[in-house]
Amino acid sequence: MTHKQEKSSMLGQGVFIFVYLAVMTLIEFGIALTFNSTTLLVVIALVKAVLVVYYYMHIYELNAEDHDADESSYEYKTATNRLGLWLFLISDSFVFGGLMVMRINLLGLTHPHLNQNLGLFVTAVLLISSFFMNRGETLMKNGDRKGFITNTMITLVLGLFFFLGVVVVEWRGIPAVAEFVLALFGEHGDVVPLTPSSGAPGAAFFMMTGMHAFHVLTGLIFLLIVMNNARKGLYDEKHYPVEAAAVYWHFVDVVWIFFYPALYLIGTIAK
Amino acid sequence: MIKKNTVGSGLLLLLIAGAVGYGVGLGLDAVVLKTARPNLVGSIPSAFTLLFAVSAFFFGLYGYRGITRGLVWQVVGTLLGALFVTGIRALMGMSGNELFVARFFFSEPAWVFGALVGVISFISGVGVMDDWMKWARGIDTPDHHEDEPGWQKYFSVSLDHKVIGIQYTVTALVLISVGGLFALIFRTELAASGFQFLNPDPTKFNVFSQTGPQMYNTLMSLHGIIMIISILLGVSGIINYVVPLLVGASDMAFPRMNAFAYWVAVPASVLMLMSLVLGGFDTGWTGYPPLSAKAPVGMQMFFLGVFTAGWSSILGALNVIATVLRMRAKGMTAMRMPIFVWAGIATSIIALTATQLIGLSFQLVMFQRLFGMGFFDPAKGGNPVLFQHLFWFYSHPAVYVFVLPGLGVISELLPVFARKPLFGYRWIAMSSLGIALVGFVVWAHHMFTSGMNEYLRVPFMYSTMLVAVPTGVKFFSWVATLWGGKIETPTPMLFVLGAIFVFLLGGITGPPNAMVAVDLHLHDTYWVVGHFHDTIFGGFVFPFFAAIYYWYPKATGRRMNEFWGKVHFWLMTPSFLTLTFGMMFIGLRGMRRRIADYDPALGFDSAHLILTICAFGIAISVLIFFINFFYSMKKGEMATGNVWNSRSPEWQVPSPMPAHNYEVPFEVVGEPYDYGLAGSKYVEFSASAGKKHH
Repeated sequence: MTHKQEKSSMLGQGVFIFVYLAVMTLIEFGIALTFNSTTLLVVIALVKAVLVVYYYMHIYELNAEDHDADESSYEYKTATNRLGLWLFLISDSFVFGGLMVMRINLLGLTHPHLNQNLGLFVTAVLLISSFFMNRGETLMKNGDRKGFITNTMITLVLGLFFFLGVVVVEWRGIPAVAEFVLALFGEHGDVVPLTPSSGAPGAAFFMMTGMHAFHVLTGLIFLLIVMNNARKGLYDEKHYPVEAAAVYWHFVDVVWIFFYPALYLIGTIAK
Repeated sequence: MIKKNTVGSGLLLLLIAGAVGYGVGLGLDAVVLKTARPNLVGSIPSAFTLLFAVSAFFFGLYGYRGITRGLVWQVVGTLLGALFVTGIRALMGMSGNELFVARFFFSEPAWVFGALVGVISFISGVGVMDDWMKWARGIDTPDHHEDEPGWQKYFSVSLDHKVIGIQYTVTALVLISVGGLFALIFRTELAASGFQFLNPDPTKFNVFSQTGPQMYNTLMSLHGIIMIISILLGVSGIINYVVPLLVGASDMAFPRMNAFAYWVAVPASVLMLMSLVLGGFDTGWTGYPPLSAKAPVGMQMFFLGVFTAGWSSILGALNVIATVLRMRAKGMTAMRMPIFVWAGIATSIIALTATQLIGLSFQLVMFQRLFGMGFFDPAKGGNPVLFQHLFWFYSHPAVYVFVLPGLGVISELLPVFARKPLFGYRWIAMSSLGIALVGFVVWAHHMFTSGMNEYLRVPFMYSTMLVAVPTGVKFFSWVATLWGGKIETPTPMLFVLGAIFVFLLGGITGPPNAMVAVDLHLHDTYWVVGHFHDTIFGGFVFPFFAAIYYWYPKATGRRMNEFWGKVHFWLMTPSFLTLTFGMMFIGLRGMRRRIADYDPALGFDSAHLILTICAFGIAISVLIFFINFFYSMKKGEMATGNVWNSRSPEWQVPSPMPAHNYEVPFEVVGEPYDYGLAGSKYVEFSASAGKKHH
């Protein structure tokens, strides 16, 4: 396979995975609105997460042989860095696992009363951002720095959209804007807004989205840094920071793949 | 920059700045809060005295760089952060008691935000993130920085794992003495029934906004958590110093993160002291809500301090795993690694993952207090037992974080001094992993009386009993290693033997607690206190001292005084054994934990008096150790060779170790513990061993 073919097949793979993810998210939404099977929702979330972890985060690279056994070489150090990042993500996932335990313990088979359309929308925004992140990283691997910058820019904008969607609209951060946007999504002001102190559903919702939003924010900062450095012409073959930022961004996406059904879809509305 | 009498000027500045801080605190009390008669030992003057005096001491000792800069930035950051929140709240229209609280000056949200800003300021001020900031701006930095010669390098950021290991160890020793001092204070209060000096009458005892019994609770709680943090730092200290040497690496895998993990523990320790002066807290180190949701602002400082120290533990563990997986010497396969490295890996697996859960549980209580989020408040649909599940999911495995490295030290040192191969190397290696993994499924045995679902009790009873299997494997191996050996007993070996005996006591007093029926009776008594002190002393404190006596020559090129080392051992061991036997004895007869006073009719007065005397015995022995430790650095007997006649690679080169470890790399060519077998060899040094294959 020539270099060009390989590149287009990598980009094609990214598109395919994105289509799978999008279809499965729609199926999730449909299941939640119709027969609401918790088991099915969990299975779909697991499948989505595995797809992202394997195809977007390239977990298999941890298994790659060291071509250069010299500890001071860039390749060897990169492999060590890769391991370090994954260890960090394992550690971090225990935070989110703990939040999930908290949510299951407090809410069981109920979920907070939230706008379903808005939930689907922000989820879609985050998934699309992951698609562009993957595209940007693939282009960088093929030496296309300009393509990388463009795609990262799109990722950044989408990520910011998601962040504002949660903090400004879902949290009613700026009430006027929140009401306007919610009206667009078919909300007619008959729902009492959640607050952190209103009860267990509110507490769980704000804590989980808050912890996730904090990670989104750090991911955005990380992306800004690599994009800025790429603009200065910093990365060529040695672009591990790009890979790290991308993997971290996809991790934030994986967390949301579980939090979305946990907060919006599973069970009945909590009183 | 090097002054003649730096300790002297440090102490002088400590006094001056302490007085200034005290004045500022009293002034704020009088001017802002308009208190008619400010409390001279209240929280506000004490907090300011603490903040000013500590930074000034290091200023005199070391000048305005490294740790001093960190502390000054922490003080400034804390005050600015607190003022910021106070300003915001004023703009939101709050006034009076919502802005300034009479006892603590700042309101609780202001203190919490200030403390958080303070921690971040410390890390920025000390300079441990400088390289990362440069990388973010696209500037490359050299792989290593050259350290200053002498003692100066220990007070600012160094990337050398040996320097960081010593920084950890000394910080751990400082915290051990602080925690021990607290124990002596409340132990003295317990020496007789009735109140001695911790008086419940606020007109007679009102220190740091606490009455006598409240102060008892605070000291008891802080004794627990400060000892735990000091143990975590001690664990990191030994692992950091020893593991790269044992595996033949030039440094840890991520030297900057290694330094970060150490330095983040320093502001955490400051927060612990802040919690003492800001009203303290009376929950014990476990911080259970609902009590922790109501305790004074000191509770928040405790939560934030533990959270910060947790990051030290997590990042340190990450580094250890990456180092061992990626940086071993040529030929060092998994089953030829030194046994201590296995222990380090097992410990790190727990620390990397479970630590997040204690951080999370404490965060949830913090947010419950700050934002009224009802996680653990039944009135809002919350569940207090949920906290205990999250908390113990870390805090039980944490015991194995403490003891696994200690047990690793025992297994590492025993063959050296028994002059025999380690019995059952593979079993020992696997038992460390076994303890770590079983440790994840036993947490609810702390909750048999908590009102959790009853069907959970029996499964957790059995999983707890299961821990005895891998632990038993270790004991059989130790006994078999000693059997028929040519046993030598220099100080490190004495501590190893002491550790085995004491840990055995800790081990066999465990199953009674694991049995649900017995535990319902034993829960919250001094029996439990005796049991876990045995476990932690046998599993960590004795091996920690053994490790210090053993590797001290490697770090300094001198050895600690053998006579005073033996005095340390022979004073500490009987005192300690009497102490824990006595605790278990009165515990079985009904002495409850965590109480400042007891009924004289119980007849425990004389027992408590003996326990207090024993506690002072331990304190004196540790004091002897400290003097020996610092005296031997300058005046100890020279020991640059293979002092203990060990086969381990770090002893095959002269002490102290050069900056980047082995000048000639080594290759592993045999089994690590074949002591006494003719012609056996563990490592071979050669220039061609540099290329590594895994």
